[in-house]
Amino acid sequence: MNSDLVLVIVVATALAFDFTNGFHDTANVVATSISTGAAAPRVAIALAALLNFAGAFISLAVAATIAKDVVDAEAIDSLNIIFAGLIGAITWNLITWYFGLPSSSSHALIGGVVGSTVVAVGTGAVITDGLVGKVLIPALVAPILAFLIAGIAIGFSYRIVGRLRPGPVTRGFRFGQLISGGMLALAHGTNDAQKTMGVITLALIANGNLGSDASTPFWVIISAATAIALGTYSGGWRIIRTTGTRIIKMDSAQGFSAQGAGAAVILASTHFGFPLSTTHVINGGVMGAGAGKRISAVRWGVAGNIIVAWILTLPAAAAIGAAAYGCTRIFGTGALGPVLVSLMGISLIAAAFGRRHQRGSPVPAS
Amino acid sequence: MVATIVETKELLQTVAASVIAGVGVTIVFSIAVYGATRFADLSRDDRPFAATAAIVTALVAFAACIAAVVVGIVVMTHK
Repeated sequence: MNSDLVLVIVVATALAFDFTNGFHDTANVVATSISTGAAAPRVAIALAALLNFAGAFISLAVAATIAKDVVDAEAIDSLNIIFAGLIGAITWNLITWYFGLPSSSSHALIGGVVGSTVVAVGTGAVITDGLVGKVLIPALVAPILAFLIAGIAIGFSYRIVGRLRPGPVTRGFRFGQLISGGMLALAHGTNDAQKTMGVITLALIANGNLGSDASTPFWVIISAATAIALGTYSGGWRIIRTTGTRIIKMDSAQGFSAQGAGAAVILASTHFGFPLSTTHVINGGVMGAGAGKRISAVRWGVAGNIIVAWILTLPAAAAIGAAAYGCTRIFGTGALGPVLVSLMGISLIAAAFGRRHQRGSPVPAS
Repeated sequence: MVATIVETKELLQTVAASVIAGVGVTIVFSIAVYGATRFADLSRDDRPFAATAAIVTALVAFAACIAAVVVGIVVMTHK
């Protein structure tokens, strides 16, 4: 009974993380469409939310990676470990959201779970092969790949349409961005929603509700899809400004190539079960599309700040996850620790939102 | 050691699929935009045969883009 209560708290926290993931990553999905004028913000966000929901049903390869290839589910002797990992991820997501940095929700989640696992049961429970081979190496390769693809693609594109009248070309690529932006939203849904599915599946395995070789239950899929779609719809206006306009001023052809590169990399990676960061990939694509036109068009200072956030995410979320486990452990291995930490977290989040609300919305929502 | 940890085959397949889809779709869609824009210009210049060729090019390229998207989704859902 006691562990079932903790399981309910873990599932609720995982869905809350999924919501913040959508909320945090909205910018990555829609910023290019908005900044080039391909879609109005509300339309772009509504479309992204809908396709996020649909994308969550496409594949389960990433969920399997998170549930079985990052930490040893059988070594996790307390659901409090997974709870603490989620707290680490949510906290880091909100910190970077507050400061307008598009860091990786995915790496925050993996960092949080690894940090709390290491503190609770030692480094032996971390599956190094899976962590390095399926998370860290693809994390390094993916944004570079998106950068190169977008850069090469925009080069070809300018060769094909460069001498035509700009008006029709702009309108053509704006139309194309409805497709490329839609594919990016679908890709985001399929890769990111699966991470929450993976964590909930991991909790169900650790709690004995599922066997270690079980697949993700349907109720987990639909609840994760709903949470990320609601989070996406709720938006992330502050981060939209960073990704859409502060990295590079884009034309619609660049927006198309950036979104196309991002969608291609995320969908291909998802197919092989690599839990990527949409943040890393789309920012790589945006910078590649900018550099493909003119290296100096990219605001490298802003890009540098984002890279710093990328580098910090795994260790910072791991440290917060470890600290959160320490806090829950003070109250034993039962439900009291997660309940108190949840209440504290909700209070802090409410305070942050209140402060954010007082300072006003940075970008108009229409 | 690193070579055994990294899933080289899957990673290379990811790179190949991403490059083909990312670069290929952008090129083909650019051809569609080229065809549509030229169609407008050639129609205005009263050159119907060239205009027809341009719009056929645009439509074929656009259909290829849509086909690429559909194939991508079908491949994703069949693993």
